[in-house]
Amino acid sequence: MKPGRYFGERVLRLEDARLLTGRALFVDDVQLPGMLHAALLRSDEAHARIRSIDASAARSRRGIVAVYTAADLGAYWRPGPLLVPPPPISGLVFNTATQVPLARDKVRHAGEPLALVVAESRYLAEDALEDIVVDLEPLPAVTDLEAALLEGASLVHEQFGSNLAAHVHQHKGDYAVARAAAHAVIARRFHYDRGAAAAIENRGVVAQWDARAEELTLWDTTQAPIPIRNGLAALLGLRESQVRVIAPFIGGGFGPKIMMYYPEEVLLPWAAMRLGRPVKWIEDRRENFYATTQERGQVHDAELAVSKDGKILGVRDRFLHDTGAYDPYGLTVPINSQCTLLGPYVVPNYDSEFTAVFTNKPIVTPVRGAGRQHGVFVMERLLDFAARELGIDRVEIRRRNYIQPDAFPYDHEILFQDFRPLVYDSGNYPAALEQAVELIGYDSFVRQEQPRLRREGKHVGLGIVSYIEGTGIGPYEGARVTIEPSGSVRLATGVGTQGQGHFTTFAQIVAEVLGVEVDQVQVSTGDTREFTWGTGTFASRGAVVAGSACHAAALKVREKVLALAGPLLGVAAGELVLHGGRVQSSNLPDKGISLGELARKANPLRGAVTPGTEPGLEATAYFGPDRGNAASGVHAMIVEVDAETAAVTIKRYVVVHDCGTIINPMVVEAQVQGGVAHGIGNAFFEQLSFDENGQLRNASFMDYLLPTALDVPTVEMAHIETPSPLNPLGTKGVGEAGAIPTGAAFAQAVEDALAGSGVELTEIPLSPNRLFELLEAAKARGAA
Amino acid sequence: MIVEGTYPLPGTPVVIWDLLMDPEVLAKAMPGTKLLVRAAADRYEGVMRIGIGPITAAEFELVIALTDVLPPYSYAMQIDGKGRAGFTRGTAKVELVPEGAGSVMHYSADLQVGGKIAAVGQRLLDSVSKLLTRQGLEALNRELNHRLGGAPA
Repeated sequence: MKPGRYFGERVLRLEDARLLTGRALFVDDVQLPGMLHAALLRSDEAHARIRSIDASAARSRRGIVAVYTAADLGAYWRPGPLLVPPPPISGLVFNTATQVPLARDKVRHAGEPLALVVAESRYLAEDALEDIVVDLEPLPAVTDLEAALLEGASLVHEQFGSNLAAHVHQHKGDYAVARAAAHAVIARRFHYDRGAAAAIENRGVVAQWDARAEELTLWDTTQAPIPIRNGLAALLGLRESQVRVIAPFIGGGFGPKIMMYYPEEVLLPWAAMRLGRPVKWIEDRRENFYATTQERGQVHDAELAVSKDGKILGVRDRFLHDTGAYDPYGLTVPINSQCTLLGPYVVPNYDSEFTAVFTNKPIVTPVRGAGRQHGVFVMERLLDFAARELGIDRVEIRRRNYIQPDAFPYDHEILFQDFRPLVYDSGNYPAALEQAVELIGYDSFVRQEQPRLRREGKHVGLGIVSYIEGTGIGPYEGARVTIEPSGSVRLATGVGTQGQGHFTTFAQIVAEVLGVEVDQVQVSTGDTREFTWGTGTFASRGAVVAGSACHAAALKVREKVLALAGPLLGVAAGELVLHGGRVQSSNLPDKGISLGELARKANPLRGAVTPGTEPGLEATAYFGPDRGNAASGVHAMIVEVDAETAAVTIKRYVVVHDCGTIINPMVVEAQVQGGVAHGIGNAFFEQLSFDENGQLRNASFMDYLLPTALDVPTVEMAHIETPSPLNPLGTKGVGEAGAIPTGAAFAQAVEDALAGSGVELTEIPLSPNRLFELLEAAKARGAA
Repeated sequence: MIVEGTYPLPGTPVVIWDLLMDPEVLAKAMPGTKLLVRAAADRYEGVMRIGIGPITAAEFELVIALTDVLPPYSYAMQIDGKGRAGFTRGTAKVELVPEGAGSVMHYSADLQVGGKIAAVGQRLLDSVSKLLTRQGLEALNRELNHRLGGAPA
């Protein structure tokens, strides 16, 4: 789609007035007459057999309406669905173990719920939690990935006979041959750990059963309202039309809110139906550290075979992936790591094998980046080490290995997380690199500034890395566009919104096609009554997939407008233009009609609607891309390290990215800026610290550090636009781009700043503490 | 969590031993103890109330089982504490070595901590446990001095 009056413009976000004045509805704003409040008893133990749970004292406490344990759920108790089955890769092993609503025989991670208390207030509900007597027999906890796979290890799920959750091997070419021919082989072990999504709004659920309407309404902080509706209807024995799920405004999703079905999502509707009263549960911050999924560690043993001139001959990678206590999200995260490692490079031979491991820790599902950063880190670090060993400039080694702009579509010959071949649709990697080099001032920094500052005793360094973000995957989304008699346009789509600016970008697409003012387009997202088909907001796919559906629906309405207005105005359809909320003859100014009036005429009270046509100016359309598309970019940053305290200051941060055709540059820039903040958190601040018994040691923002505005620089941005041929808008996703290569860029920059110290960075997250330890260790090595 | 150290005490191991086996004295040596009874020869039961950072006045039901008792020189303990703020369990070892006219107590504990105290009290656990240990040993020392001072020379 071409830029126009609104499409491609910096339109101010239409939803912000509501958000900034407190008029936006969030789940916790829902107040219903007679509403009860729920709290969950969560296990203190990470791994234990449940001997008994006695809730009798809690039940008899004043103000307590009900207490449910697994035993009370009867036939309703069942493990959740496997959300993403494993892709059809030959030889793949996958052991399915999905989460349960309340632990029944065993507890498999600290924080796993044991009982649900429903009370007149949350205060009373939490008091009653203390009355429940739980007798747990502690079992040794599984926390270390390598130890978990050893013979005799304690088992998270006994039925599998080991803690292996999955094993996947993908390869192309023949790595052994490449290795034999290599001038050098760079081999390292890498640790990459992620953290909590730390959305500003925790999860929340309000369930209401209307016995007269026989309808269940659920307000839920989910990224996937329609699948939640479908799943709940099946679980509760209701028709899908009897369940309405509303995902209102949500204060950040970042991945964990796409997880289905959280225990609370299953328990509250059931309790509300049984009790005949609405029930609310709002997650508190400490619960969020256990009860909401997170992303965590991988350990990679990787090697890169290179020629003398720095050409990649092949890569081999063996890695372990921590999936936590259950694996409902299948292999999305490790397959993203496996695929994204290849990045924008020509890798003729690739051999990658991973083992997913069950541990006694909370469940791992995608968090912004969804395993991509693990892969990017390994590849970019290997290239850095190769460049150093071969005496090639780090920018130059990347330049020499890029897939060239004329090589698209480019087939990596392995399978991506959407079960489709990993084929890049479009891109221009050398151009992005050159632009980043220029923006950050690479040459002058390396030749003049850095040596000058080093002479002054300052430790400054630069990092510059590339990445690919596979985005905009299927299966499909839909949209319905309606021109109302008032002239305003209603747009409904099934995806939920968590702050991405959907109310604006979707409106821009429709306004452009229909020639109306952008603020005349009222967008509805995330309400299953408004739109009943769709999957959800994930994998940076909202603008690509739902946006394309909005476009398709608007085009269909436009066809209807032309078909109706042509005969009515006596003007050939080809001579009509849509502009200013009117359809108009392009050369006869008095021949025109407002879209509102036309909508009225399309829905007459007398006469007849011509057979074969439909009343009104309304259309529904769907879009499903053939496969995901490849957004890409280059991140560069300059840091200064205090060699004494190991504190790191990020001086500048440059992002050159390509998300194809841009719908709204401001929205794109905000996504990148926010992603970079997430990435910086991952690189230097955030780490979930578990002890060897599976206890999380920093389940509060006092100890789990998030970067603040003081730590995150304003990102300097430039856009490259290589339109995707896989959708009519030409757009690619951008939701995760900022967070993906940050760790790799950070490690390179800090290492550069500490050049000569002997420190080599093969792990993320770092922290001043960890960096200090590494500096001390390097000093000790140097002295020895 | 590992807690270990040494502490000089007046009196011979025999004198100290008797004190250590007296629930009343032991309660003083364990700050925050609200109740401690000797349920059996080798078993103490009680209630402790401690505060760790944001967790104030957390109550724990405490069971201490003595093992490997070698009077008057050493014993080991199996510690099991449970409460709404979490749990602590593990083993501890106490050893009395005569030195001059007095003794030196060698103590070590390997404790597992879970639940809320582990989640939000972690960064204070070390300092709180050190503080409690020191307070306890000082209390024991005072008691010992008191008894020794009160006893005929």
